Amino acid sequence: MSSEVKVGKYIVLVDRFYTDTDEWVKIDGNIAIIGITDYAQKKLRDIVGIDLPKVGQKVKLGDVVATVESVKAASDIFSPLSGTIIEVNYTLTEEPEKINKSPYDEGWIFKIQLDDDKEKEKLLTYDKYVDRIKGD
Amino acid sequence: MFETPLLKTEEKFGANIGEFAGWNMPLAFTSYLEEHLAVRKEVAFFDLSHMGRLRVKGKREEMEKLICRSLNTEKGKMIGPTAFLNDNAGFVDDIMTYKVSDDEILIVTNAINREKDIKWITDNSSLNVEDLTFNYVMIAIQGKKIWDYLQKPDLEFLNFQLNTKFLDENVFLLSRSGWTGEDGIEVWATKETAEKIFEKLLNKNIKPAGLIARDSLRQEMGFVLYGEDIDDKTNPIEARYWVFDISKEFIGKEKLVEILKNGVRKIRIGFKLKKGVRTIPRNGYKLKALDTEVGYVTSSTYSPYLSRTIGMGYVNSSHALFGYSLSVVIRDKEYNVKVSDFPLI
Repeated sequence: MSSEVKVGKYIVLVDRFYTDTDEWVKIDGNIAIIGITDYAQKKLRDIVGIDLPKVGQKVKLGDVVATVESVKAASDIFSPLSGTIIEVNYTLTEEPEKINKSPYDEGWIFKIQLDDDKEKEKLLTYDKYVDRIKGD
Repeated sequence: MFETPLLKTEEKFGANIGEFAGWNMPLAFTSYLEEHLAVRKEVAFFDLSHMGRLRVKGKREEMEKLICRSLNTEKGKMIGPTAFLNDNAGFVDDIMTYKVSDDEILIVTNAINREKDIKWITDNSSLNVEDLTFNYVMIAIQGKKIWDYLQKPDLEFLNFQLNTKFLDENVFLLSRSGWTGEDGIEVWATKETAEKIFEKLLNKNIKPAGLIARDSLRQEMGFVLYGEDIDDKTNPIEARYWVFDISKEFIGKEKLVEILKNGVRKIRIGFKLKKGVRTIPRNGYKLKALDTEVGYVTSSTYSPYLSRTIGMGYVNSSHALFGYSLSVVIRDKEYNVKVSDFPLI
């Protein structure tokens, strides 16, 4: 398990990048794995469903690629980077609660092959994300 | 914003606190799915301190004029659910009534309607209203197997006692009642006593549940929530909410009789989405028969007991086709919505 920071009751992982819309991004070469943060899943509470993107779909930074359904609301998941979706976590269709139970691991949502290596510079580092959710 | 007197205790116990009807309340402790199933299969308890609680004193005739059900019952009995209606037979509020004596009743109101109800009672009668909401915490213990965990009180369903004991603590009110469809008891007690009861329930292996679970439990039963499923423009006939005695006089009765004679244009129905469809239509989403809009959704949730999405709404009475599947569009996709009667479980 990678090292983590606790902000109140929320966990932030050091080895990830983040977005203002509470997605996390794990970069591995030119592949990015994306999910939602512990903060996001706790705010959404019980997740009961998810609309997933399609493999092969081209996405641009900021596109809505998935929608998470909780009893509270339906929330859009935005692509933090541009590229092609190469893998989707289909197990979430049957067990969307994995996002609540394991947001950074089993609850990953999709993988993108990146178009632009420089785009990731726009992502938040973990310490910036910690600042963002601090005090909430 | 108000907050439950038990907030600190509940936060220590991991409560996810959120706003409901102007109150900071525990929405969940672990997951609403688990808490919901605990009630359906075993037992759990809820903090309902947001519910308005009023003591109303005065002439019985005046009370009868306000309340749609007859108060002609023994002391110590609960009457309800019943309602206050406006002149158009729309709901001012749906309430539970407790008959203390011929000149005293207690009323539980919806949290959002507490102040409105006090004003409405005062405007429409010379009754004396005392707001007890902030004097007592209200705890509901509910569950299929509740009596495996607690000693059964000497109370029939919908009966109550005042100034009695619960778990060896002095409580103001103890009733055999609830809003989950399971057997249970509800207690009104001071903050200090309620904290002791909280501890004692934990020691009996009864865990707390939050308001999200209460919402999904009531939806399975087809119980309405004021502000979502009924409001001041909805009447009890179209809501199929049998809160009145048509043989007595009360505000709104004249209109109610007229509605009964003429029939209603829309009626409240329950619905179920197909198993495996993991999505929830929200309040206001349209229900369609083929391409024709015939109704709308008022409440919906995912039922952990049925493992499917359920809910309720209104359809034109021409389309109250129980067993038929209407459709609802959620994010550009169409889903089947099977019209079902209550309870949905």
